[in-house]
Amino acid sequence: MSFIVQGQSVVKKFGDFVALDHVDIDIENGEVVCIVGPSGSGKSTLLRCINQLEKIDGGGLWVDGELIGYRIEGSALHELDDRQIARQRLATGMVFQRFNLFPHMTALENIIEGPIQVLKRSPRECREQALELLERVGLSDKANAYPVELSGGQQQRVAIARALAMRPRLMLFDEPTSALDPELVGEVLQVMRDLARSGMSMIVVTHELGFAREVANRVVFMDAGQIVETGAPEEILMYPRNERTRGFISAVLN
Amino acid sequence: MQTTTHTSNQTPSASSTKLSDYKIVPRRHYGRLVSSIIILGLLGALIHAFANGDIEWSIVGRFLTAKAILWGLGNTVLMSILAMILGVVLGVIFAIMRMSSNPVLRYVAKGYIWFFRGTPIILQLLLWFNLALVFPTLGVPGVFEARTVDVMVPFVAALLGLGINQGAYTAEVVRGGLLSVDNGQYEAAMSIGMTRLKSLRRIVLPQAMRVILPPIGNETISMIKMTSLASVIQYSEILHNAQNIYYANARVMELLIVAGIWYLVVVTIMSFGQRQLERRFARGSGRVDH
Repeated sequence: MSFIVQGQSVVKKFGDFVALDHVDIDIENGEVVCIVGPSGSGKSTLLRCINQLEKIDGGGLWVDGELIGYRIEGSALHELDDRQIARQRLATGMVFQRFNLFPHMTALENIIEGPIQVLKRSPRECREQALELLERVGLSDKANAYPVELSGGQQQRVAIARALAMRPRLMLFDEPTSALDPELVGEVLQVMRDLARSGMSMIVVTHELGFAREVANRVVFMDAGQIVETGAPEEILMYPRNERTRGFISAVLN
Repeated sequence: MQTTTHTSNQTPSASSTKLSDYKIVPRRHYGRLVSSIIILGLLGALIHAFANGDIEWSIVGRFLTAKAILWGLGNTVLMSILAMILGVVLGVIFAIMRMSSNPVLRYVAKGYIWFFRGTPIILQLLLWFNLALVFPTLGVPGVFEARTVDVMVPFVAALLGLGINQGAYTAEVVRGGLLSVDNGQYEAAMSIGMTRLKSLRRIVLPQAMRVILPPIGNETISMIKMTSLASVIQYSEILHNAQNIYYANARVMELLIVAGIWYLVVVTIMSFGQRQLERRFARGSGRVDH
């Protein structure tokens, strides 16, 4: 069994606030894991630690078998520099709540920026790949549109294509539909559903319990910086054992 | 003015004719009319005064294209461009230093901005020009050495004075621009594997340009006029040359008008260029000012 993510006793603090309180998590290759929980429970922070947008204060995180943020030498952990961290980030693709497309670039330019600038692949090849990805997310006709000309759902689908263009081993979704108008949520979830079926390893922080139930292999419930309960979607979402999980789920459903 | 005086509670359906049958009488702007007449009158008086004042307009015309004036104009434009380039390069460097997590870089940048914004530009020009009083020679001993007076000619002193001073202002403008870009842009750039520096260059700076350009355009225009201060250190820009001519022929007003016309011409052209540039960097913002 190979793990795409392993976390051992991960601690993250913001000042005095403990965002992650000794979190242990293992995620297998090809697994789709949905993380649910109230806001401030640390689920987004966990994602951001996995791709090193945040630096952890304790414990260790391995992504695709590699310890992130540090290099082990003898009995010492050496902090990695900016360039090495950037290289490690290539293992993960990130989709943000607020899309964060580059507004000064067209949809196509957004997608080819990383492959050309970072992976140094040929522009021609990158364009072809980008057009394929746009087709895959159903936006073939929007290649030359600027983000401002796209709806939220379309922007988020371009953002997914942008992340996929880097050919990551793991996709991280940070509340990908929370900033969308209700009628646009479906199109983004559909793209994510297809992606999950293709065998991509995914960690999805979401409030879409229906999506979690349908697509996830496993649901993780977090609260107050801790993983409270984890298990199959039906287990967690239908028959939660923990008091806090039960409270959260009934609050979301009502 | 509306003169129809239907009584208070008459409902639309109660009126016998349809509203679309009425003729619309535009409102009269009496205030605009009166103020326009007054201002046009004052303008006319001003033009009349200058036309009949003791100004030889033929001399203005003759000196407008005099060789010394055009040479000075060329120097003014050249110095403005070079000083602005130096200012922007320094501004970007110091803005990034100012925002660095390295406290040494940060404080050096703060000190630079503090000093060069805190002292008058004319004082800085004089400092550079008189540097020979402090350091008789410049260079790395043994490798390259030169007498300071040979290096600090008016051109060099003016370029350093104006450019370095400009850098202090531009640094703040650039910093404002960088701060205006959403933090999510850095995160998105880093999430596709960019280093901090590359994120800055490819993603954040181009977006910051939209915010940075209008004030830089402003300061470029300001720089064109600021070069006139370099006349105090004998840099041969347009005002300096105009002065030299009127010291000889005593046509003070005429030559000042000549210089004024040229400043206006250059600034007008610059303003046009600024608009074009701003439009280019507004790509994707969904907002283009015409």
